[in-house]
Amino acid sequence: MIGEISHFLSLSAVLLLSLVLIFNLFFSFSKIHPNQLILSMRLFNQACWLVFISFGMYVYLAISDDFSIAYIASHSNSQLPIFYKITSIWSAHEGSMFLWIVFLTAWSILFINSLDNNHPLKKFTLLMLSLIILGFLLFLLLTSNPFERILPFGALEGADINPVLQDPALAIHPPMLYLGYVGFVISFSFITAYLINGNFELQWEQDIKNWSLVAWIFLTIGIALGSWWAYYELGWGGYWFWDPVENVALMPWLAATAFMHSMFASSKSNVLKTWTMFLGILIFALSLFGAFIVRSGIIDSVHSFANDPERGLYLLGFSGLITLLALTIFAYRLPVLNSSKLVVTGSKESFLSMNNILMITSIFSIFLGVTYPLIIESINGEKVSIGPPYYNTIFAPLILIAAIFIMISVDALWQRSMPLRKLFITTATPIMLSLVSIYLIWWTTSVFSILAYIGVFSGLLILFSYLLRIINNLFNKKFINKGSAIAHTGLGLLFFAVSMNSILSYEKNLNLAPGQSISVDNSIQEFSFNDIRVFKASNHDVISAEVLLLQDDKEISLNPQKRKYATRGQITSESSIYTNFLKDTYLTVGDQLENNSWTFSLKINYFIKWIWFSAGLMVLGMLLTIFKKKAS
Amino acid sequence: MNHLLRFLIVLLPIVALIFFAKILLIDEEIQLSNYDLKDFPEVQLNDLNGNPVQSDSLKGIKVLNVWASWCITCLVEHPFLTKLSDQNIQIIGLNYKDSDLKANAWLKKHGNPYLFSIYDPRGDLAFELGVTGAPESYLIVNNQVLGHIQGEMDQRKWDTIFLPLIQKAKQGS
Repeated sequence: MIGEISHFLSLSAVLLLSLVLIFNLFFSFSKIHPNQLILSMRLFNQACWLVFISFGMYVYLAISDDFSIAYIASHSNSQLPIFYKITSIWSAHEGSMFLWIVFLTAWSILFINSLDNNHPLKKFTLLMLSLIILGFLLFLLLTSNPFERILPFGALEGADINPVLQDPALAIHPPMLYLGYVGFVISFSFITAYLINGNFELQWEQDIKNWSLVAWIFLTIGIALGSWWAYYELGWGGYWFWDPVENVALMPWLAATAFMHSMFASSKSNVLKTWTMFLGILIFALSLFGAFIVRSGIIDSVHSFANDPERGLYLLGFSGLITLLALTIFAYRLPVLNSSKLVVTGSKESFLSMNNILMITSIFSIFLGVTYPLIIESINGEKVSIGPPYYNTIFAPLILIAAIFIMISVDALWQRSMPLRKLFITTATPIMLSLVSIYLIWWTTSVFSILAYIGVFSGLLILFSYLLRIINNLFNKKFINKGSAIAHTGLGLLFFAVSMNSILSYEKNLNLAPGQSISVDNSIQEFSFNDIRVFKASNHDVISAEVLLLQDDKEISLNPQKRKYATRGQITSESSIYTNFLKDTYLTVGDQLENNSWTFSLKINYFIKWIWFSAGLMVLGMLLTIFKKKAS
Repeated sequence: MNHLLRFLIVLLPIVALIFFAKILLIDEEIQLSNYDLKDFPEVQLNDLNGNPVQSDSLKGIKVLNVWASWCITCLVEHPFLTKLSDQNIQIIGLNYKDSDLKANAWLKKHGNPYLFSIYDPRGDLAFELGVTGAPESYLIVNNQVLGHIQGEMDQRKWDTIFLPLIQKAKQGS
């Protein structure tokens, strides 16, 4: 019964949103009545609440184990803790789409109610938001209905959530990511409304600035959590695989980053306005592209949901429709928009726009990497895959150029050109320090890889530039933008950590029988495989290896495990990780060989925790920027 | 220059759109044609009642449905299979990695839409067929595998994938 009510509420939301659109379309040719907006707003708010209540009931259905709902029966289980009963909702296509729509609705209702009723863009923004929510609700109900019942008799027990998804990081990774993706519906709708409205004297940046910054924070956390989960749960020891679905998350992130930078420039010095608008539209278009790639099954990936061409066509059609709508209006208005104000060469915004171009180049390269296999397959049926070598080669030079511009822009001024002499003075120190560090790294490790060293150098350039600036601030009280300094330090650290990780990390495969011990290398003096135990846990069997390491004169005990889950028969590998300041010791246990020995994979990952620390710094920097804006 | 730019901003997404739509449609065609003329593997198994499966039982138009008593989705698609068997569609079960006791109890409890079920506790026949999990369904016409559906079968999949193949097979014979 509750399932039907929940279903009915979603259907009613569709009805109300259609009313908003039809009603406004109907009256668009007559004189505007003051109550028109008020009525539309009421309908819209009610539609949003219906979606929330409907989802709330669905959560209740999941908690109360209603296995007569087909989706819950095939993704949850009565033995699961309540937390995972709830998160099982977004473990597959239908439920996660529902969550996606709930977030879309939440952002929309918050934003539209924050606008004053006299705001000239309110009406068109409302219509855009209604159209987008309506389109996706219809997608949910028509092609991927989560409310479907198993008739006449429901299942007695659920099929269980995939065990690798029973993990706190993964439980919150999709919600964070979705909050980021759909948060940019605000900039998308607002900019489109601005373009439709046609009064270009309006200042629009302030109204959506903080909303976009918050969405960026969610997107960043979402991507970082996904990568962290992949590192410790999948047991491959990697943190980023250039998987198509990671790529489609990275594209909106890059576009969003470029968008924020050019928004800072356009609000500081009134340049790059057109460019900012284009980026604002692009972010959401790329988010939709991501949803299409993941949910159409067009690409095989660990992330993709079931293959269903009907869903793919609907998503493609609808996303294409609203993207084209926005871009067509943009193209139509382009001649009027072109601001006559030019960017001053050598000013802060000039370097900033250079980096925007680099970010667009990266987006294009990733887009090419994602679609190239599809293009080839459609031409001659061959399957090709594009992996890390492509991305590393493309990104190393882009990162270097970006780092140089970031370094220069640290001391550049808004709207004024920087004297060449000053440029040399300020950049000489970071360049020298970076070169010396590179030499030291090469001298101590005697590893040489041109791409990795480019990355290290780029990271150090950014780090040293900002460190010098911070020191200058502490001792000479020179002005510093704290948010920017922290976020960019995070970026420098990220480049540094990723590249150092690829230079220093190594992997050993070992075969040992219980009771044996060997010496691995200078660092790991002793590896003793003490025992292997088999026992039963609540819903899985465990094989647990007890290993004692003598690493750098320190004893470390590690317990890598293999688990076999009863309901699905799936086997997962739980790696055991020991972390210290510089490196992770990462051990997974493999299979038993015929002579009673077991295989182990031992990975030494340098600077890996620094990667997520640097993501944290970027988020912190962005938070400071938001709160500083609020304070002033 | 400006005109060209405006033109491109609209044109490029349209090109991308058409491209992706085309790939999606090609994908479906490949799914349909993939199982052309693959011979059904030889069966040396018993059915759930312990009788050897006769080789001529796969003559004519048959649907082979992979199922198991442990498989929840099989229960989900069970009503649809019952509906098919009521319409005189001949369905043969392939009981996959299951125990005959549990399987027979399951059929007794939920109803039996199958002519008979091949008992394949180790998954030998399933391996030959390329089964990845239960449920899956194969369309078999005169000992040849013509079509394949992974996962739950429903009206839509039946109408778009198996029904056209059946009609084609009927016209051919």
